Amino acid sequence: MGCERHPDGSYPGVLLRRGVCRVSDAEAEPETDPEADDEADAATAVDRDGAEPGGSDGLAPLPVSEAADLVDRVADNVSRVIVGNDAAVEHILVTVLGRGHLLLEDVPGVGKTMLARSLATSVDCEFKRVQFTPDLLPSDVTGINVYNQKTGEFEFRPGPVFANIVLGDEINRAPPKTQSALLEAMEEGQVTVDGVTRGLPDPFTVIATQNDVEPGRTYELPLAEIDRFMKKLRLGYPDRADETEMLGRTAGEHPIESLESVATTAELRRARATVGEVSVSEPVREYVTDLATYTREHAQLGVSPRGSIALVRASQARAVVDGRDYVVPDDVQTEAPSVFAHRVRPRTGSESGLDVVEDALSSVAVE
Amino acid sequence: MSTPVGDRFGGMGAGRTGDDGAADRRSGDDAGGGGPGSYSVAAAVRSPAALGVGLAIASFLAVFYHVVDVVGGATFLLMEVAVVAAAAAWLGGFLRQRTALGLTAAGLALALIGYFLSVPPSARALFTVGRVAADVIALLTGLSVLRLLNAGAWALFLVPVPTFLSTYLLVRRRHAAAATVGAATTGFFVLTGDASAGVGLTAAVGLTLAVGFSQLAAAGRAGVLAQWDTIAVVVAAMVVVTSVVTVVPGSASNPVFPGGDSPTVESSLVANTDSVGVLGSIRLSPEVRFTVEADESAYWRVGSYDRYTGGRWVRTGDTTPYTSGSLGEPPGESERLVQRVTARGKLDALPAAWKPVELRGRAADTAQVTDHDGLKPGTTLLENDTYTVVSQRPTATTGDLRRAGTDYPSGISSRYTQLPESTPDRVGDRTAEVLAQADASNPYDAAVAVERYLERTKEYSLDVPAPQGNTADSFLFEMDAGYCVYYATTMVAMLRTQGVPARFVTGYTPGQRVSEDEWVVRGLDSHAWVEVYFPDHGWVRFDPTPSGPRESAEQASVETAREEGAENVDAAGSEDGSYETATATPGSASTASAGSTPDIGAIDPGDRGIQNATIATAAGGLTANATPAGGGSGDAGDGGWTPTREDVAVGVASLVGLVAGARRFGLTDRVRRTVWLLHQSRADPNTDAERAFRRLEYLASIVYRPRRPGETPRQYVEALAGERFGDRARAVADAYERARYGGGVDEAEARRAVEAVDDLIRQHAPVLRRLGGAGTPR
Repeated sequence: MGCERHPDGSYPGVLLRRGVCRVSDAEAEPETDPEADDEADAATAVDRDGAEPGGSDGLAPLPVSEAADLVDRVADNVSRVIVGNDAAVEHILVTVLGRGHLLLEDVPGVGKTMLARSLATSVDCEFKRVQFTPDLLPSDVTGINVYNQKTGEFEFRPGPVFANIVLGDEINRAPPKTQSALLEAMEEGQVTVDGVTRGLPDPFTVIATQNDVEPGRTYELPLAEIDRFMKKLRLGYPDRADETEMLGRTAGEHPIESLESVATTAELRRARATVGEVSVSEPVREYVTDLATYTREHAQLGVSPRGSIALVRASQARAVVDGRDYVVPDDVQTEAPSVFAHRVRPRTGSESGLDVVEDALSSVAVE
Repeated sequence: MSTPVGDRFGGMGAGRTGDDGAADRRSGDDAGGGGPGSYSVAAAVRSPAALGVGLAIASFLAVFYHVVDVVGGATFLLMEVAVVAAAAAWLGGFLRQRTALGLTAAGLALALIGYFLSVPPSARALFTVGRVAADVIALLTGLSVLRLLNAGAWALFLVPVPTFLSTYLLVRRRHAAAATVGAATTGFFVLTGDASAGVGLTAAVGLTLAVGFSQLAAAGRAGVLAQWDTIAVVVAAMVVVTSVVTVVPGSASNPVFPGGDSPTVESSLVANTDSVGVLGSIRLSPEVRFTVEADESAYWRVGSYDRYTGGRWVRTGDTTPYTSGSLGEPPGESERLVQRVTARGKLDALPAAWKPVELRGRAADTAQVTDHDGLKPGTTLLENDTYTVVSQRPTATTGDLRRAGTDYPSGISSRYTQLPESTPDRVGDRTAEVLAQADASNPYDAAVAVERYLERTKEYSLDVPAPQGNTADSFLFEMDAGYCVYYATTMVAMLRTQGVPARFVTGYTPGQRVSEDEWVVRGLDSHAWVEVYFPDHGWVRFDPTPSGPRESAEQASVETAREEGAENVDAAGSEDGSYETATATPGSASTASAGSTPDIGAIDPGDRGIQNATIATAAGGLTANATPAGGGSGDAGDGGWTPTREDVAVGVASLVGLVAGARRFGLTDRVRRTVWLLHQSRADPNTDAERAFRRLEYLASIVYRPRRPGETPRQYVEALAGERFGDRARAVADAYERARYGGGVDEAEARRAVEAVDDLIRQHAPVLRRLGGAGTPR
């Protein structure tokens, strides 16, 4: 679907990209069959969202220790493919557990897609990838009603957004209208096509990448829309040893091919429910508020209340990753740079949002 | 129903402002009865500056109260003050300041007119612009208000003026101005000498507090809280410094801290000043003051005092220049005595036997006559100046005086039976008992009974404490010994409780007789006694002081001075011993006049023959008890020193100052932190765990570095782990995290954390460990 419209040839991408495309195609195959199931899922999702947005669907939360265990397993599994970027892996897991979405900004070819795919495989999730291009239409993302001549009826063909983990590649190449279709899906957890609202699958995480190599030919994401991503990360180039190691692993069969899932989707859902149970004490909440206030006072545009909420959510997930059922200021400090930095517009061009956040971390007192 | 959040907040804000406004209006209505201002007593008093205003107002009210307490009308004054203050509080709600000031000025004018009208018409004739101006200057240079004939009326007319103004300003929340009015009024009394150093200090402290706190109040409540200790230090310094370093001459004689020279009897008695205080321990001056040539000895009288304030004697009324014939003859029979007095040093009095009728010599040109027919020199007499006085000494017999009756002229009885209203009733009760015991039925017998009673029950001593409160009351009920001022004061007060007109007299005893007709009078002969009025006979002298022990003390002083070779101890051959005749030096062992004086005019209680034993006892007591402070022995006042009220006040002030100063420089905080570091009292587990971490933090801030603002507890203990704090610190931080951020800790964990900190403190602070004592390092 998303990939089908854009032949690989038109993108002089690296080897990995081709692989991703192929895999995503392959995975799309079995999915078209149980379409009815999908519809049913979607319907229940709508009901659920209507009753209790973001609720745990009646699933019992995992005990914190088991959730932490799960995270360990997944992280280990993913690092078989992604060499030497454990921190990034943890950040992605935190995003998934915290019901957020991730924005990766980096040069091409540092393993963004591979990271997303290996994660999806590890937790037995459905993975789809959308390559954003200037002529991509919103319906290419959300799906379209197609007239079935056999039955004489329109039937809905879901877009790539109907998956657990969606990789939106080079999102800044598409026009704003298409971008906003994806962003709306991220925000609402549902998609409306021709007046019919369809819910998205339960673990639903978008990993969008932004190419900052060719800024002239892109539609820069407005700050208001970047705000909807829980985190923004840069992977960066691997160091010398890691890259050498990676080359060794990929020389033969790519490790992603043999990657097996180490957790079920249900377990992932229960772990997400666990995150909601993590307690955030008043001093920690005040600390988050103080940090946000600091950015508002020391930048042209500071962190919105949505950003504060995202930081608390991320900190809760981080606490689970560390095997705790309460948030400590350290969690907040670990999460603050990736959660806050992209929401801050600094006063001068010489400093970045990250600088402001780091100032905040070093000067706001931890009570 | 979806109100935008911003609007809702805005609405709430507006609503609250409205409520505040309403509350303000309500309080304004309560206080001002519908006036536009929001001034109320409650609002004014809530400021700490009101305390200062209160002190300033209290200081001048205390002086006014003292005045009316002495001359009568205390209850009326209190009611008057209450009414005026209430009126000022009410008017303060709405009256504009300019109107109030005008009202005050009008009140002052009315008060002065009222006082003028209250003065008897005869005295009013004396009022001229020049005299009034002179009187004002006299008041401001130390003329006590109590010397005004009509001091009570003066106080009652004038007290509303400063009371109204300061209360009004207080209600208007002009604290500094209100305190200034109060302190200025007290300042006036300081100049007149009516306000004691303590009262003046109270006013100054009040003014300081009011000005200081009203400045701070400009910075709001936070300003007051941040800076109150500065004001406390300043005020404490004021109190302590002024009590230690005395620059006001009037109070130099009575510094708060003991030590220094005692004043002489003479300086407190016979310079013929307008008032005499009761000082406490004094010493005898052996220097010769003057010599008298006369046919007979007498008590050389200097001045008399009519108004008793409880602690002082004040002479009321004016003096007039001496002119020939301005001194009238005494009523009744009298005997003429001519005395030629030669000054042997500077002399600020004109000693003469009662009652002087004529003065000759240079001194007569400038002499003044007091309202009591006493003499007062216009200029100080220098050495070898002489003057001659002719006196008519009353010679009424005992029988005459017994029959004199009680038909006193109204001027005499109102003036000479005055007592402070605060005089305890027990003085009168005791006097009545004494009179009943002696079966005294007339004023003369009453005077004799009181005189004997005092001679019998009290011992003579110069080394006594200054009395607290009413001198007569404390001498009568609390003291066992005293000297002439105590005896005389008490006797006058006792007689006055029975309606017998009496007054307090100062002067010199006859002195040492050196030849047939010459007497040498030394400083130590200065004395105080009593005069009682008898209709048709005038003033008659009584001396309640036992003369035997007094003269022993005086003689001892003279001999000590002679041995030490002091100058001016002898004159006209006095060192050769007394001139021995049948009428020997007063107070010698002459059986005829034991215990009293030999001169004819005096009433001699010894003639009843019951005094010898009493005097002997008193004399025995003296040798054991009375060590003359003179002759350089200088041991006065080193006995058991009991703190007076002033000492306590100064102590409290310095304590407050120290505490405030310590707080100002962070000392209390440091002490508190150290104690807190050493010892942790236990509460619930969560609090314990949190406090354990705080202690750890404090300890590490000393031995390592403080926690940085953005540093989490966990990061901090990781940094500490490198500083020999290790796992124990981690355990403490872990407990802290769980107590503060997590679901809490249990008892055992909290205890472990506290113990871990205890261990760390012992390990890292050797000095503290030693101080902490019992703990053995684990």
